[in-house]
Amino acid sequence: MEIGTRKILDRSFSSVGMFAIVLMAVSLVILLQPVIIRGFGAFAFRGTVEFREMMLDRFGRGDENGIRKETAEAELARRPVYELVEVFESELMDADPDFKTKYRSEFRDLKVRLEELLGPRVRDSDKALPRKCYGQTRWDRAGKKLHDVLYIESYDYSDPSKMGTRIFSPRADYFKGTSLEPLFDILERDIEGMMKPRPTLYWRFFFDESIDSHFFGGIWPEMLGTFYLSLGAMLFAIPFGIITAIYLAEYSGTGRFVSLLRTCISSLAGVPSIVFGLFGLAFFINTVHVSDSKSVLAGSLTLALLILPTIIRASEEAIIAVPRGYKEASMSVGASKWHTIIAVILPAAMPGILTSMIISLGRAAGETAPIIFTAAVSVGKPLGLLQVFNQPTPALPWNIYNLATEHEAVDEIRHIQYGMVFTLVLMVLMLNLAAILIRARITKRLRG
Amino acid sequence: MVEFPGKKDLLTAENFSVFYGSNEAVRRVSLDIPEGLVTSIIGPSGCGKSTFLRAVNRMNDLIPRCRAEGALRLDGQDLYEQGVDVVMLRKTVGMVFQKPNPFPKSIFDNISFGPRIHGLRDRSKLAAVVEKSLRQAALWDEVKDRLGDNALGLSGGQQQRLCIARAIAVKPKILLMDEPASALDPASTSRIEDLIAELRGKYTILIVTHNMQQAARVSDLTAFFYEGNLIEFDETSRIFTKPREKRTEDYITGRFG
Amino acid sequence: MAEHENIKQTANIGSRLLMGARERRLRLIGSRIGHTVLIAIASSSLVALLFIFYFIIRDAVPFFRAEGFREFFLSTGWYPSRENPEFGALAIFLGSALVTLGAVAFSVPVGVMASLCLSDILPFSIRQVVKPVIEMLAAIPSVVYGFFALIVFAPALQQKGGSILAAGAMIVLVPLAAIAVIVAGDLICNYIAKKNDRAVRAAVTAGLALSAVFILYRIYGVIDGLRIESGTNALNASVILGIMALPTIVSVSEDALNSAGRELREGSYALGATRAETLVKVVMPAAKSGIVAAVILGVMRAIGETMVVWMASGNAARIPSPWFNLLEPVRTLTATIAGDMGEADHVTGSARYHVLFAMAASLLAIAFISNLISEIMVRKSRKGA
Repeated sequence: MEIGTRKILDRSFSSVGMFAIVLMAVSLVILLQPVIIRGFGAFAFRGTVEFREMMLDRFGRGDENGIRKETAEAELARRPVYELVEVFESELMDADPDFKTKYRSEFRDLKVRLEELLGPRVRDSDKALPRKCYGQTRWDRAGKKLHDVLYIESYDYSDPSKMGTRIFSPRADYFKGTSLEPLFDILERDIEGMMKPRPTLYWRFFFDESIDSHFFGGIWPEMLGTFYLSLGAMLFAIPFGIITAIYLAEYSGTGRFVSLLRTCISSLAGVPSIVFGLFGLAFFINTVHVSDSKSVLAGSLTLALLILPTIIRASEEAIIAVPRGYKEASMSVGASKWHTIIAVILPAAMPGILTSMIISLGRAAGETAPIIFTAAVSVGKPLGLLQVFNQPTPALPWNIYNLATEHEAVDEIRHIQYGMVFTLVLMVLMLNLAAILIRARITKRLRG
Repeated sequence: MVEFPGKKDLLTAENFSVFYGSNEAVRRVSLDIPEGLVTSIIGPSGCGKSTFLRAVNRMNDLIPRCRAEGALRLDGQDLYEQGVDVVMLRKTVGMVFQKPNPFPKSIFDNISFGPRIHGLRDRSKLAAVVEKSLRQAALWDEVKDRLGDNALGLSGGQQQRLCIARAIAVKPKILLMDEPASALDPASTSRIEDLIAELRGKYTILIVTHNMQQAARVSDLTAFFYEGNLIEFDETSRIFTKPREKRTEDYITGRFG
Repeated sequence: MAEHENIKQTANIGSRLLMGARERRLRLIGSRIGHTVLIAIASSSLVALLFIFYFIIRDAVPFFRAEGFREFFLSTGWYPSRENPEFGALAIFLGSALVTLGAVAFSVPVGVMASLCLSDILPFSIRQVVKPVIEMLAAIPSVVYGFFALIVFAPALQQKGGSILAAGAMIVLVPLAAIAVIVAGDLICNYIAKKNDRAVRAAVTAGLALSAVFILYRIYGVIDGLRIESGTNALNASVILGIMALPTIVSVSEDALNSAGRELREGSYALGATRAETLVKVVMPAAKSGIVAAVILGVMRAIGETMVVWMASGNAARIPSPWFNLLEPVRTLTATIAGDMGEADHVTGSARYHVLFAMAASLLAIAFISNLISEIMVRKSRKGA
């Protein structure tokens, strides 16, 4: 081949390589960008007067007088809307049948949507579902609900070869000529006065219990459950992992048994996580009966098995990386092997072992499949320390799945879902950052 | 073989061999090392001199598939007999390694590591041992104000003297030195050599070295190893002036090695 | 003087070296016990693996005993909750295979190229930045990937799937086409004219480039016109799984490439080979088994993954038509286990419960065998290095 062609090929080869790297970086950015931006919205958003009222009612937070005053002002702004509705309602009662058939169902629909936006006019906090007691607490959600009030959604199936296309037609057009017509203009114009949005930092999102299956409130039960599960897993996995690593690095030599053991460890690392979950169900719960049904304990044990290989491998590497001189020096002043390991090798390997632990902790916190059948429930109270032995718990990874797919109002609580994802990602990445920093310190120290 | 009047033989090898797997690294060596003197072992790389040295405190036990044959006696006790307490042996036979290998701990903890594992807990007694060992290793004046500092912060020469202090803190009878100055600069090397001269008489010192001038300077006796065999063992002055063996002469005159 | 006492005491050191019979026995027993305890604890992973095999297979056996193997492996009728249930898992097996194939088709080329870049092309300082990116990709929990696939990627695919696909295809195909044009032009020129004629060369290359542009344009048009009925489909799951498998593939194959050694590379450079030639013809063959191991590990990561496929693959237990159509929803083994156990748990002991264990046993067998193969490959690559 021409030397020029070879050079071009060489260069294009390098660029393809760079492209692969860039692709990875870009995927990371694309993945994290919505998580971070929208996740932020879970606790930093424009809260409406409804939000403040809810916080006062449910958590007793905020300045009561101020909020009552604000509610009164909002009420005042909303009065024209309610009056128009009342007027139209009485008109509808007395109207002729044609008028009734035309408007009755649309009017009912409108009233439902209005109540979703502004909340019931008469506040009765004894209602069964808290979500029925309040209007939209977030300004962004209020905007969507307002759209629902202003427009009628329908589908156009005129082209049979395609799926139906969504059409929005103004509700004002539908009610044209009735006494309700001005309502839509008033709403559009005065919505800010009715909702009184204000920048809100709801940092207690992380530490509040959820209300009405995550319609309101925070994610504390999930966070606590994740802490329990991952710390429990570490509790079981660390002693076994480190002792196995010591055995492999210091005692084993190169026999058959050791090679079998190594194969087992790598096979264990290759077992799909869902199989761990089934095993946890079949063994810990159905056979050993560590608890009657799902519990934090059973979940922790299952997760411990899952992270065991990671801990063993990384700890072994850290132990092997300890300079031989330390060991020789210790033995040469008469320390026994066990003493050498405890007093010299483990302390020197500790940063490396710590790194492995931190990364495994992140892994345990993020795993979903193993806890589906062993520990996780969708809704629950934060657990006390003693309840971990027999109570299941909500956990971040499971509830992300659950809220995003099985919740009755998936779209309404997007912000909570993003908030959970954000929290989980933040936790895991912080742990990894800590691990990277520790590793950097080790390399620095080894260089002197 | 030479006799040293008034000095009893402390370490005796008799047809002593060390194998790595099937490779015989030390071959049927016989020699008597008298008490209280400095004995150096010289020879080209791979001649088995380090292996022999490490056999004395059984550090070779750490290497898989390594075994010894023949007899190696310390004060009449065969070191490879079943039932020899390796911990006791290593307390009796201290060792200093080629590369300084202080623990990543404080200077104080480095020195007190040995006494502590042998049961000395009393803080003031430990402090006394640390001071005495550091003084013996001629390091006390340099580090007395920073005993709590990490030992890895010391210079290479200081680290090596720290290792010597660490070795003598457990009151050994024999000190093994495996090329103790090979990783150091000339100035630090000469301080180590001075230190060896000072320790002479207090400990029985066995030193492996690459450097023939060093052997000539510091030792009373010199053993020349070649390909695992002990070629010649005699007073240092004699080895370097009138060696009996042709191969010894070739080596010390620089024809190979 | 203390030092002289030191010497005088040597009188009986020999005898002090020997332990008494009692102490010897105690020490022996102590070390035996210690060693036994150590081995017992170290065997925990062996025991865990055996237990996993035992308990999964124990609960899978009743299914095979009751329903036999034929239906499970050969039929596509998956109606576990019917009056007369059918447990044909063929479509589910194929779903797993399809999603995994899709993921591998994406992640192996990217992963191997990235590892080459990391080991040989990028300067050290940039490598220090890229490594954390890879670690972050590996650290992000799978449910987050699944959430992204379901909430962000699926709607995007459904709305502008054709354009996204076309853009993706162009990103891949344009550079490939450019390289192909260069190589083909060079080969043709060498074939038709021995002497190096610039005009001929330019003409040939221009002709090839034009036809390549035309072909690419047609391809773009076809893909851009595609409509995707549902955003949760095999393609969605494949792409996300591929990204998830990347870190594994990159780190394992980078290890293999690094252990191929400097001498090997220097030997090739010394003969005047370019970097690309060195990498492709010398380094990659030397690191072959390590790269294969990396690919197998990546495949295992994709097959064993639950949350992403559960959330993104659409969960339809039927074979796409044609079978390789990534744009249709599929259902995988892992997602079936995760999804059905919730209902089957209430009927512990029924075929519906045990069939999930049969699937888990199949997964376990696949994972175990591929792990053994990759282990052998890794050992081979270490030996070769």
